[in-house]
This record gives sequence, C-alpha cells and structure tokens, in this order.
Amino acid sequence: MLHGKCSFIDPEGAEMAKKGDIVAEFLGQNSHLEQWLESLAGECETEKQWRARKEFILRNMESFPNIQPGNSSRSLDQLLSLSMVWSNHVFLGCRYPQQVMDKITGMAEGIIVNDIPLRKTRDEIIGKGIRKNSSDLKIASSQVKLNSRGQDSSRNGSGTSKSQGSHPDTQHAHKDKSLKNVRSSSNEGSHVAMKCGPSPQAPKEYQAFFNRLYKAVAWKLVSAGGFGPNLDYFAILQACVESSKSSLTCIFVPLKEIPDLPSTHSQQEGLVCELRCRTVYLGTGYGRGEDSAKAMAAREALKVFQGRKVTVKICKRKYHGQDVEDLILQDDQLRNSGLPPALSYPFESEHQDLGNINL
Amino acid sequence: MGVPAFFRWLSRKYASIIVHCIEEKPKEYNGIRVPTDTSRPNPNEVEFDNLYLDMNGIIHPCTHPEDKPAPKNEDEMMVAIFEYIDRLFNIVRPRRVLYMAIDGVAPRAKMNQQRSRRFRASKEAVELTEEKSRIREEIFQRGGYLPPDEVKERFDSNCITPGTEFMDNLAQCLRYYVADRLNNDPGWRNITVILSDASVPGEGEHKIMDYIRRQRAQPNHDPNTHHCLCGADADLIMLGLATHELNFTIIREEFKPNKPKPCTLCGQLGHEIKECQGLAREKQGEHDEFADTPPCSEQEFIFIRLTVLREYLERELTMASLPFPFDIERSIDDWVFMCFFVGNDFLPHLPSLEIREGAIDRLVGIYKNVVHKTGGYLTENGFVNLERVEMIMDAVGVAEDNIFKKRKEDEEGFKRRMKEKKKRMKTEKPAFIPRGQFAPQPLGGRGRPQPINNPRQAAYEMRMQERNLDNRPQSLMSSHDKNSTSPSPAVKRKAEDSDSEPEPEDNVRLWEEGWKQRYYKNKFDVDVSDDAFRRRVVKSYVEGLCWVLRYYYQGCASWKWFYPFHYAPFASDFKDIKDMFKEFEAGTKPFKPLEQLMGVFPAASGNFLPLTWQRLMTEPISSIIDFYPEDFGIDLNGKKYAWQGVALLPFVDERRLRAALEDVYPDLTPDEIKRNSLGSDVLFLGKHHPLFDFVCELYKENMMEFVDIPPELCHGIKGTVSLDENPILPGKLVESPVPMLKDIAMNNAVGIEFKDPQYHEGFVFKAVVLPGAKVPPKVLKPGDWDNSNQRPWKPQLGFNPNRQQVHLSQSAFRTLSHNMPRERTRDGAYSNAPPPGTYHQPGPNRQQRASLAPPAQYSRQPASLLGPMPGYSQQQQQQYSRNYGNEPSLGWNRMMQSQRSAYQQNQQRGPGWSSGYQQRPNDLRDERGRQGYNSGRNYPLPPASGRYNWN
Repeated sequence: MLHGKCSFIDPEGAEMAKKGDIVAEFLGQNSHLEQWLESLAGECETEKQWRARKEFILRNMESFPNIQPGNSSRSLDQLLSLSMVWSNHVFLGCRYPQQVMDKITGMAEGIIVNDIPLRKTRDEIIGKGIRKNSSDLKIASSQVKLNSRGQDSSRNGSGTSKSQGSHPDTQHAHKDKSLKNVRSSSNEGSHVAMKCGPSPQAPKEYQAFFNRLYKAVAWKLVSAGGFGPNLDYFAILQACVESSKSSLTCIFVPLKEIPDLPSTHSQQEGLVCELRCRTVYLGTGYGRGEDSAKAMAAREALKVFQGRKVTVKICKRKYHGQDVEDLILQDDQLRNSGLPPALSYPFESEHQDLGNINL
Repeated sequence: MGVPAFFRWLSRKYASIIVHCIEEKPKEYNGIRVPTDTSRPNPNEVEFDNLYLDMNGIIHPCTHPEDKPAPKNEDEMMVAIFEYIDRLFNIVRPRRVLYMAIDGVAPRAKMNQQRSRRFRASKEAVELTEEKSRIREEIFQRGGYLPPDEVKERFDSNCITPGTEFMDNLAQCLRYYVADRLNNDPGWRNITVILSDASVPGEGEHKIMDYIRRQRAQPNHDPNTHHCLCGADADLIMLGLATHELNFTIIREEFKPNKPKPCTLCGQLGHEIKECQGLAREKQGEHDEFADTPPCSEQEFIFIRLTVLREYLERELTMASLPFPFDIERSIDDWVFMCFFVGNDFLPHLPSLEIREGAIDRLVGIYKNVVHKTGGYLTENGFVNLERVEMIMDAVGVAEDNIFKKRKEDEEGFKRRMKEKKKRMKTEKPAFIPRGQFAPQPLGGRGRPQPINNPRQAAYEMRMQERNLDNRPQSLMSSHDKNSTSPSPAVKRKAEDSDSEPEPEDNVRLWEEGWKQRYYKNKFDVDVSDDAFRRRVVKSYVEGLCWVLRYYYQGCASWKWFYPFHYAPFASDFKDIKDMFKEFEAGTKPFKPLEQLMGVFPAASGNFLPLTWQRLMTEPISSIIDFYPEDFGIDLNGKKYAWQGVALLPFVDERRLRAALEDVYPDLTPDEIKRNSLGSDVLFLGKHHPLFDFVCELYKENMMEFVDIPPELCHGIKGTVSLDENPILPGKLVESPVPMLKDIAMNNAVGIEFKDPQYHEGFVFKAVVLPGAKVPPKVLKPGDWDNSNQRPWKPQLGFNPNRQQVHLSQSAFRTLSHNMPRERTRDGAYSNAPPPGTYHQPGPNRQQRASLAPPAQYSRQPASLLGPMPGYSQQQQQQYSRNYGNEPSLGWNRMMQSQRSAYQQNQQRGPGWSSGYQQRPNDLRDERGRQGYNSGRNYPLPPASGRYNWN
C-alpha cells in the first residue's frame, strides 16, 4: 500500500523527518486504518519502536492481500510476526534463522531507523563472535548512529566488495538499504572471516615443513654450541630456513604505529620486527634498529624450537584492533600468554578493504 | 527466587536459623545394604508432621548433576531421584503427610524467566558439546588418553518442563515409587502421600503453599503441625514466613562454595575442561578404594528454622511507641514484601537495591519510619497499601544518587585492593630466608629444629650461604643486562595486566550526573522526558509488586499478568502510584502444558513437540516466528559473565500464540492430547492408614462424584477425592516403569485423585497465627539475660533445647581401649609427636594387667588413686577398663577423652545412635572432652569398620 509511494524515496536523499511524514500522510488519507493500526501496538513498545514497526507493517501490507483491516487473520499474524522479528532484530539484537533474516531484510528495505541501541548478542559475548568480526559490526552500527545516509552507502560499498564473488549474500547485500547497515547480519560476517583467515587445513599442510625445520635448527644449534646469549640468532634461523628451501619474511613496523599496544606503554622509539615463514608466524622482536629488532625476533623464534616439538596452529590474535585467526608456530608447552599483536596478515590478499575500514 | 545472595545474606546475619542435619546412614553388612528404619525417632530430636518436596529442586541435580558424572539414561535418573527422596525421607521422617509437587504450568509472569533459562541452557549445551569435541580432538592429537565417549542419550535439561514425555514418565515412576514404599517401608505406614505432578498447573512451591493455605483455613487443621519444606530456592523462606505457621522448617542442601567439579571430559577432579590434558587417572588410596568417593563428596543437608528467623525478625522489627499495638505478624508480612524489591522470579530488582549492599537493612530502617509516620502497615493478607509503599520508595529514591556513587567507590576500592594484593603476591620470594638452625619449619610437620651438633660446621655453612647471597644480586643483574635488549618480558607483563580483566563497558555510569537519562536511553531506548512511557514502566512494576505479594499470600491472582519489560524503573520514579493498580483481570486460565512449551522453548528444543508444532518455531511463514530467535542480545548490566546478564528475549504475544496453535491442534496424537490436559493431585495411602478402607470402599462402590474426606480419619486433612482413571489398587499389580526395579505383585496401597478444599470466590486467606497454636520455646539469647544470678547462657545447637550428650557404653570403651595400643604403634601422622606424659614407654606388664583385670574391679578403687584429678567421679572410673590409676592423669586419659568425644560425634551420626548407651550428663567431662577435640588432638581412632563416615 505504501509501496508505491515510497518509490520516490531514494536511499541517498531521504531524511528522517520526511519519512515520518509519509506514514502520517498516508494515515491521514486512510484515517479508517489509523485506529485499527494503533490497536496492533505492543504494550511495552516504545514510541520509537512502534513507529518503525508501523512503517514496516504499512509498507508490507500489500504483499499480504488477505489482510483486512479490523479483522485478525492468519496472514495478518504472519505480517505482525515478521514485523516483530525485524523489530527484535533491530532493537533487541536478536538473530533469527538465515531464511527469516533474508526475508525481513527484503521487507525492511527503505525504512530508516535512527540511533539504534547497541546490543551484543550472546554469541558475541561468549566469544564465538570473534570469528564473526564483531568489531566490524560495531563500527557498522556506530556509523549508523552518526546518522547520515552518505555513510550508509559507503558501508554498502564495502559490504558488497567484501562479499564479492560467488558469495550468496551478494544479491541482498546490494538490495538491503537499511537493515544491513543497521546490523550487518552476522552470518555474512562469519563468511567473510572464514574467507580471509587461514584455511583449516593449513596447519596440517605446513606441519611437515616445520618438522624438517625443527631438525635443521636443532642440528644447527648443536653445532653452534647450544642456545646461548652470544649467537647471531637471525643468521642461524635464516640459514636453517634456507637449508629447508624456504625463506624468511621480515616485517618492520615502527613501534609507535602499532595500534594495539597497551596505553601504558611509554616507549615510542624503535622498530618492531615480525618474522614469518611460509605465512606462519614465528616471532616478534623489538630493537632500536632493524638489525637488533630482527635479532630479537629471531631469538624469540628460536626459543620456540627449544621445546620437544613444534606445532603449527591456528590462533586468535589482534591485528589492527581486530581479532583475526593467524597461523603460528608453537612449542609443546602449553602457554596461555597472549601473543603480541600481528604486524602483518598474509591471509587477506582478497580483502584489502578489511584494513581500510578500520584504519 | 533468583537471588542467590539472599540466602547467604540471611544465613550470615541470622546465623542461628541453620541447624545441621543428622542423618542416619544405611548400614552395610557383608555387602548387603540394610535400610534405616524411618519409623524410629528422628535423630534430629524433633518430629516433623508434614514433609513437602519441591520436586524440581530434586529432579535437576539428579538428572544433570554438577559434581558427578551424569546418569547414563532415564532409568538411572529415576533411580537417582528415588534415592534422593529416600534420603530426605530418612532425615526428616514425616509422620503425617508427604507432599510431592512437581512444577506444573507456571503463571505467565514467570514465563520470561523460564524462556531466558531455557534459551540459555540450550545454547550452553551446544557450546559444551562443541568444546568437548574440540578439546578431545586436541588431546588425542597430543597423545593423551580419554575414556571413550559413552554412547549416552544426550540429556537436554530443557525437558524438565511440564508437558514433555519425560515429565509424564517421571509422574508414572513416582507413582510406582510411592506404591512401593507404602508397601515396604515401615516409616511410610501411616503416611498420607500426595503427588502433584506436572499436569497440575502451578509452580511446585506454590502448589505446596496453596495446599497449606487451604488446609489452614479449615477448622480441622492442627495449628501445631510441624511443616518441613524441601528446596533450595530463597523464596521458600518467604513462602514459609507467609504461611504464619509457627513450626516451619526448610531443609536444603548445604551450599559449599568452590566445590570441586569433575572435568566434563575425563571425569577427573582437579581441573576444568579447558585444562584437560588427558592424563591417566591417578589411583585414589592404596588400592584405588576411594575411586568413587572424592573427599567430602556427599552433599549434606541443613535445616533452616523459620521459627528462629521469626524470633530474629521480631527483635529487629519491633517498634516501640507506636500509636497502635505492634503486631509482629503484620510486620513479617511487610518484611517479606520488601524483600521482593531486591529480587524475585517475576520482576527485575530495582537498580539501587542490591542485597550485598545491605539493601534489606536499609529498607527496614526506612520502613520503621514510614510505619511511624503513616500509622499503618504496608500490606494486609497479601494486599498492598500503595500510598505507604510510595513513601518507602520516596525514601529510597532520595538516597539513590548516593547509593550509586557509593557502589562505584566500593568497586574502585575493591579493584585497587585486589591490584595491590596481586602486586604483593607477585614478589616471588622473600629477600632472605634463614637456613640451618633458623630455617622456617612447616607447621605441624615432623621435622623439628635439630640441635646444632657441630657449631663450627654450622657457622661455616651459614657464612657460605651469606656469601652466595651476596653474589646473587650481581649475577641477577648481569643476566638482566644481557636480557635488557629484549622487550618481551616487559611487554608481556603489561599485556597481561591490561588484558587480564576486560572490563565490560558501562554506558550507563550510574555514578555520574545524568544517570537516569542514560539508563532510560540505554536500557529502554527512550528519552527520560518520555514521561508517558516511564509511567507505563512504573505502573507495570507496581502491578507486579501487587501480583507477587498476592501470589504468595492468596494464590495466583491472574495467570495472564506479566511484567513486559526487561528492566526495572528507579525507586525515585514511583510517584503517584496510589491509583495505579485496581484489580487483576478475573477468570484467567493457565496455559495448557504443550502451549506453555511453545512459549518457553527455543527452536533447538523443539523435538519435545509434535512435528507440526515444531514447524511453527522454524519456518519463515509461521505467524509466531518472532518468539524464537537463534541468538539474542545480552546486556551484561555491569556483570562479568554472559549468564549473569539480562537476556533480551522478545515477549510472547499470547493471542498470536493461541491463534497459531489452533491450526495445529488437530495434529495431536491421543497420547499428546493426554499430556496436554490438566491433571489432578493424587493421594496415596498404605494399608494401615485409617482412611484406607474408606477409599477402598469408594472404589468398590464405583462412586462417580467428589466425596469429602472425613478429616478425623486423616490427621485433620480436608479435601475431596474422586476416583482415579488408572488407579493403584490393593491386589492389583503395579508395573515397574524402570527395568531395574521389580513390579509390585502384592500391592497393598491405594491411590485416588485429591482436590484441595475449595473456597468461594473472593475468599481472603488470613495471614495470622491460628488460635490454639503454641509458641515454640525461644532459641535466641534473651536480650535481658542476666549472667550474674543464673547459669551462663547455653546456646542451642539443634532442635532440642535440652540436648543430651551421648556417651559410650562400657563395652564400647572396652573395644576402644583394646584397639588403642595397636593403633598407637602404627605409622600415623602423629607417630612422631612426643607422647603426652609417660604414656609412650609401654611396659609389657601394663598391657598384661589391662587384659587380665576386669574393669569392674577398678570401679571400686578409691578416688584418691586418680592422682591429681579430684573431679573424677566414681562412674567415670568405671568406664576406663585400664589401670590408669598409677599414672598421672594428665597423660593419656585426657587423650582418651578427646578420642571419646570424637567417637561420640561420629556415633551421633552413625547407625548406633539410640542403641542404649549410657547417658550421663557430666559437665566437667563434657567440657574436657570438647576441649580435647577442638585442640586437634584427635588421635588415631579404632579402625573404621567400613560403615563410619569419618568425614
């Protein structure tokens, strides 16, 4: 019913006030509806929630032709239910099965809600959310909080590029104008995270190589007289890696550019070096210059080889303020101490935009 | 009540309300278990008339226990439940009524709490299995060992909800259980058993309350009935107080904090699933004989004596110089009402009232003022005087600002203290530890400082040690120098510090100016200026308070009412509430069991429902799909863990739910229709019960209508009975629903449907003490106790004010002394301890004498032989079967006594409690015995014969 009218609200130009008018205007023309409609308001709904839901109902009444104002019927209940799904999703933070989410996404097209309350779902709190890129979500919704349609489109853009390719979400990522911006469906988030992280088989693939490297390092250390303070750590490590027919990657970042350091950290000078081999993280070191940083990183890496064996694992760690999954090399001791934040992330080649969003 | 802190607070403040249960354990001879005879006097020295079981408090721990491996299948669960009830019955030993109430369909007001529990439980279960399989995998990869994953039916604890098949089975099993015990257990001979299963609407504890209320209101009720209610919920205390029965006791499991939980993966104690390493199990004891009994494994029970709580409250609430006579009963009702502010199952608690911060004391203080000012109580018979409530809220509202500020301060202070403590603990070692002669010794260890044999050598060693110490800092420093290029330790530590406790972000900041604004914005998503909305919240809350109080005092006023918000308003918002509440909608009906299941289950637990009903939970075209989110928002609300937070679940729209179900009702099978119907309480009797013949007669006559019970046949219980469709009848085989248990072939019990006495619409149950009720003797020390002219005040420990100390008989002492010498020579923990007195030089002739000399002989010896202990009586000598007269009495016979008292203590719990030992009150001896016991001098005791529980 309202659908025809709302076609002129192009997503870029519409403003909140105007939209409020539309509902009012429409009801002004169809005053017989108004009373009936008000009877559908929930008793604990706030004015804001009800206004949004009212719009949702009016916009979608067309697609439920059996609805007769004034009579309760099954299809009216269906519409009410979907409107509640949408409202619960937006205002309470509920998530529903994907099918349902897809459906309401389409139905909510064009509805603008300002100032969405920030909710964390249980999964996000428990920690499953880390995989689902919760920080990304937060940014998305806080942008909406700033309330400007311009940003919406930029978010849309990134959403689209994120789910490019054969991703099933692509179609409705284009389509959704408001909903996804409000709270990008976490399912999509999980797809993205999976795609840009290391593949689950990676540890197995790399394990053989690192077993070989472990042996090489062990012999090399024996010939150098054991792990001690006066070694050229980097040279040893590099020699071993090269003898295993691979190469070391060093990434240097000035200390002050690392975003994830604890705020209490006073030191500003110097460089931090991260060593990787075949994308697997080996160690991080700090020094005044490149050489000393490299040496410290190599020292950390060699420490890992002091154990009885080394294992390649997928671990969660910080990267640019986000939790990401990284491949790391570990010794056999269980240690819970947190990893230093990653300085590079070799698994995001398809998703350069990931960093852009957050920087 | 969802206030775990309430009970802790109560038991700390009013410590004397708690009495530990004395439990007679079943004995075991040659591997055969001999059950205890519950018809004998109660070892707790009190006789209870009625025992009420809130069954859900039993079902949950029996079906998915936290401290032991879960039962493998439903049959084992049922047996566990039976055993648990047996245990309770053995402790309480009711003499008249056993009332078992399983939660039925609850009022709508409870639904949101149920929903949130079940949605969480379902997600938690999935997470646990995921984590289990993940860690399992990891452990196997590391080469660890884990017991094979038993093929277990995965138990979804959500099935403990009325309407499921499980609950139906449980009801069947309990019928069988009751019939079996009525036939076989002498303690059950004269008991009237009432079973109110899940098909009867109402929460378990409230069904019990309803029963008590309705019995009290009829003239045949014995006002001195001693009630005992079993359950762990804190609101049972309120309910018990609300009955105004003078003899009311609650029994619950003793809560032991930090009880070790076995790892869910390998079943071993001592670590959590996260740290599971998959190591082989360690042997417990020399031959692994303690394998199944982790230390202190058995949960013990405590009594909570509401009689004593009433005494305490009387002391606390009594107000002098009132313009009208003070009535403690009314005051207790008001106290109960005020406790609702701090939390209950039906309303979120007010943000400014935290039980931990002494909210109840604050309320009591305010309350006294208000009563003085307005000249009246807050409540009467469960009806609230809102005008006076508003004054209370006003006073709380004034303080609200400061409460929040203080809370913040306390929190900060706590954090600071913890940080400092952590810092202190981090400095790993003291700078200097003396060695040699002056080295610290572990307390109670066997090593004692040795005298220096070679002073020169010792001096040299100490010198050397000192030199090493001098060297150490240097070496430390040098190594530090080498390391200093590496930032890693410093970085790591800092990272740990900051990451260790991620603070949940708090947008509301109640301690800062503008908190109200932020609270409403964040929690309700409205502006503080939205007065209409705020009034709506307050109105609902006021209705809620009225509803809850009515629920406790008069029964469920409206099955439909519920509080439709996730948060409470502030106390300062309660303005002009006088006219906010008039009356509840009359004639509301509870949900049917299956309807309620649809209302409280997440889609993941849909398997308990018929297929077409399940579809309503998952399909996008369902007209109630919005009730079933997969994941939901949680507001931590200042708490740390997800389970403490507020689950932001959508509310159920009753109209739409019923409308949607109309379509699928025809799909129910006959069995499901039966499960969906509302049932009735069932009353069971054994053959010896006076009412037994009456009931049998009814069955013989095939009486089709309701018949009143003659109360004189049944301890004054009134009510109506009607024939059961599938009754338990004498002479009829009762089939066992559990394969491990036998059918009852020669049944002598009878069961019949029972209905509480009915009262006319609008009847008000009076919240008063009944005429004829005798006030139980006071337990607390009277405030005006005069120490000078009377004996010192003797605190009462158990139920019996004149509790007799228990002593050993002669023969027991013979046994004891016979065993003593042998014990002494063993390598015990104390074998290195210096012997008291001269005892440790055992002359061979002494033993000989002991064995030769009959004990009676020594009883005739003059007391002077006792040496320096003139206080010993003739009687006492008799008990010692040894010739101790030659020895200084300070020696081993003191030990003997300490030992004896230890033995007595066990004896009290042990099986031979009333087996005719001599009871000789002897103050002096008791005193000494206790001293000895307390000072930790419990020497090795005679060998346990396997049935004593030395814990």
